[in-house]
Amino acid sequence: MLMPRKVKHRKQQRGRMSGVAKGGTAVSFGDFGIQALEPGWLTARQIEASRIAMTRHVKRGGKVWIRVFPDRPVTQKPAETRMGSGKGNPEHWVAVVKPGRILFELAGVEEQLAREAMERAIQKLPFKAKFVVRPGTHGAPEVLV
Amino acid sequence: MPEMTLVAEPGRTIGTRPARRLRAEGKIPGIVYGHGADPVPVAVVAREFRAAMSGEAGLNTLLSLDIGGKSFLALARDIQRHPVKGVVTHVDFQIVSRDEVIAAEVSIVLVGEPVEVHHGDGVVEQQLFTLPIKAVPSAIPSALELDISGLVIGGSLKVSDIPLPKGAEIDIDPDTFVVTGLPPRVGTTEEETAAVEAASAPADEG
Repeated sequence: MLMPRKVKHRKQQRGRMSGVAKGGTAVSFGDFGIQALEPGWLTARQIEASRIAMTRHVKRGGKVWIRVFPDRPVTQKPAETRMGSGKGNPEHWVAVVKPGRILFELAGVEEQLAREAMERAIQKLPFKAKFVVRPGTHGAPEVLV
Repeated sequence: MPEMTLVAEPGRTIGTRPARRLRAEGKIPGIVYGHGADPVPVAVVAREFRAAMSGEAGLNTLLSLDIGGKSFLALARDIQRHPVKGVVTHVDFQIVSRDEVIAAEVSIVLVGEPVEVHHGDGVVEQQLFTLPIKAVPSAIPSALELDISGLVIGGSLKVSDIPLPKGAEIDIDPDTFVVTGLPPRVGTTEEETAAVEAASAPADEG
């Protein structure tokens, strides 16, 4: 699973997830992508599950890009522990996702196969997401109104 | 390159709220600049703008911009889109003249069937999707075609392999890769997963 090799601080505060994504909102490397429609924390495990679902459906050929990285630690207190005694232990890693963010990209396969593979990957995500096509390709318009 | 006529209303109020009201009315706020003239805030009807940009030349369509009865030759430069909806939220129009060399981004279209790559279960990876070129407005092509039928696994095609129309110059290193024929994935997904897990070690502080 994806995780940082080294971090400056082991524990972080939770922060807010208001607004929409500032960058990473366009399909930049492949032909197709998965775009988040809601904010949320995407765990390394969910990223890996989505990637596996996608690559298994494609079977052969195709190239996958993961456009998010889980660089935020999430802590948890052990079960049946009394409150207090400081913050819990880092348990897993998440990526903060805001609406509009492209999560995965895919190239080298037909649109129908890409759509099916990415629909499977979307099932593994904790928020709503949609399949998107690079504008100006595969019949997708350059300008939407 | 065909020229499209687009009516732009001058004198819109600038600011976030007036711009939002314009968008709600089905208009796109924009700005017109270039050739030493003062920038003019304008508004264009979204449907007309889409019709103008959906022509053969795509985003490089030469526009005959009608601003308050005066006509200007312009190009839509920076098109801002909503990150989720994808709709155009703002557009920059740059005034150009017919004999002036300008820079433009032209999309690269891959044509032909890379038989050798497909026979070897390889993947065609496109690294460059648009090519920056310099030309007079009338010489800017709608798209540049690159024939990939001769592409082999491990091989690649460069910017210098793209045939350019007369009067156009590339504005990038000619040795930049455009497409590469990648070999098939060798490992199964289980092997890949194991390899990724083996490579990931717990994060250290410091």
